[in-house]
Amino acid sequence: MKPEFFGILRSPVLWLALVFTAVLPLWLPSYYLHMATLALVYVGFAYAWNIVGGLTGQVSLAHSLFVGIGAMLASALLLRLGINMWVGMLIAALVSGMAGAVIAWVDYRFRLGHLSFALITLAFAEVGELVVLGWDFLGGASGLYLPKDQGNLQSFQFGGSSGYFWFLMLLAVLALGVNLAILNSPLGFFLRAIRGNEGAAQAVGVNVLRNKMLAMAISAVLCSLIGTAYARYLTFADPYLLASPNLTIEIVLLATIGGVSSAFGPLVGAGLLIPIGEMLRGHFGSMLPGLHYFIYGLLLVVVIIALPQGLAPAFSRLYRRFSN
Amino acid sequence: MAILEVQNVSRRFGGLTAVSNVSFSVEKGEILGVIGPNGAGKTTLFSLISGFLPPNGGDVVFKGQSIVGQPPHRIAKRGLTRSFQVVQVFTDMTVLDAVTTAALLNHPMRAAIAKAEKVIDQVGLGHKALETPASLSLQDKKLLEVAKCVATEPELILLDEVMAGLTLAETQAPLKVIRDLRDAGMTFVMVEHVMPVIMSAADRMVVISFGQKVAEGSPAEIVADEKVREAYFGEEDLHD
Ligand SMILES: Nc1ncnc2c1ncn2[C@@H]1O[C@H](COP(=O)(O)OP(=O)(O)OP(=O)(O)O)[C@@H](O)[C@H]1O
Ligand SMILES: [Mg+2]
Repeated sequence: MKPEFFGILRSPVLWLALVFTAVLPLWLPSYYLHMATLALVYVGFAYAWNIVGGLTGQVSLAHSLFVGIGAMLASALLLRLGINMWVGMLIAALVSGMAGAVIAWVDYRFRLGHLSFALITLAFAEVGELVVLGWDFLGGASGLYLPKDQGNLQSFQFGGSSGYFWFLMLLAVLALGVNLAILNSPLGFFLRAIRGNEGAAQAVGVNVLRNKMLAMAISAVLCSLIGTAYARYLTFADPYLLASPNLTIEIVLLATIGGVSSAFGPLVGAGLLIPIGEMLRGHFGSMLPGLHYFIYGLLLVVVIIALPQGLAPAFSRLYRRFSN
Repeated sequence: MAILEVQNVSRRFGGLTAVSNVSFSVEKGEILGVIGPNGAGKTTLFSLISGFLPPNGGDVVFKGQSIVGQPPHRIAKRGLTRSFQVVQVFTDMTVLDAVTTAALLNHPMRAAIAKAEKVIDQVGLGHKALETPASLSLQDKKLLEVAKCVATEPELILLDEVMAGLTLAETQAPLKVIRDLRDAGMTFVMVEHVMPVIMSAADRMVVISFGQKVAEGSPAEIVADEKVREAYFGEEDLHD
């Protein structure tokens, strides 16, 4: 591990931000707390995706598959087989990790290239959605309703909005921490080298296939874990939300707008845009159907055109200008 | 003892035979120069040895074992790396990070960074350690290629025209690096078009023309060789 990693861990800014976030449930009204919880879910998704999409530079559209496995499989295991959801969460994560590794392997074996990587991952995600919608065990088209939360932590119940906020925050921080750890360890160097030039990476001994599989597996496991927790938070595992490729598109947008090559891009992207999107819906949603989507979309387009590198690099430039 | 034996290696691209039945061996600790006109098949030969291209026939034996069919990263791990004639940089990675990646082949994180810093100084890129390839000149990118190779701590390095474009004076620094490393036990195979450079650097030379080996010997023997004059010196000026 590079020494910088421990520097970040010791940074007071990081700990202040964590404490600030952790006390939000103590004073935030429930409507805003819900918004903040959603933001955490997407911060986590965006960080998980960033391991493949940002660090390795492969635009994956498969990630709704992993979220879907985490949500639908863990819920189904509980409802159909009575398997504790903590255990279900781990089983689903394992399945997701293996699915991720297999997808990376298929891409590599058939040498599909950049655009094809997006297409083949999308195909896997589409198949995943069809499987969920067509298989009653996983809830089919009507989804799976989870039992009422009775605050029983052993049964994966977090007893109300604060509990879910804290658990999802933990997962988001985990996803962030894994990103930072990868960036500062050999895996991060290998992934960045692969992103920069696969042939040159191989020439200096980088095992491209193994590292790509590893990146995809780690990314998939994180998405899956958050997917399980998100479904439990919603008390409803909705396949049209959690197993739909649309979800991936959202994640890709958030990470891209935040800035994929920046360690804090996913945080900035999801942390800002999810609340903004929710607020727009609150304000304009009832005025004219679709108006809030239109405004949101317009905002995204403007940001992408004005700041192609994303928001996080722009913020750090601003920060440097002010601190000088 | 021969560290590398290339045995009857061939490679075809469609109707074109880029490398045809080439055999030679490289002794441990020597600098072998490979010369030949443009399009002779030198780069293709390097790709065949380093695992980037499969040969259509023949064998490559490195340290007593055949490495044909092995992927490049495994060949690198065994101790054979190559540089690329058309420089292949890791976009977005600083010089230090790129060379650290190479050093990670045989070192854990911190030791790899230290190793990379040392190699970067050695090739003379120390003052550019934190720059990305976008801001490097072609010459610096070539030095970066050398640094990446060296940082993997190989026993055999294939260098493909790393001194092209340098003036004779500018080649002295990289040449010294190569000689120092050779004195420390590394073995080199170098493709170079600049005659005075390769003549002074190489212990032995192999001449390739139209995919075939046409001569082999000491630099002095090569200059005197009739076939070489015909194939090589006859058709282009010495400085290409
Ligand atoms: N991937 C490829 N596909 C088709 N033809 C190729 C390929 N690579 C090389 N060739 C052809 O094989 C022949 C040998 O090329 P090679 O690059 O090995 O020559 P070289 O000796 O390195 O030349 P130079 O001195 O210009 O670098 C050339 O005719 C080239 O056009
Ligand atoms: Mg060449």
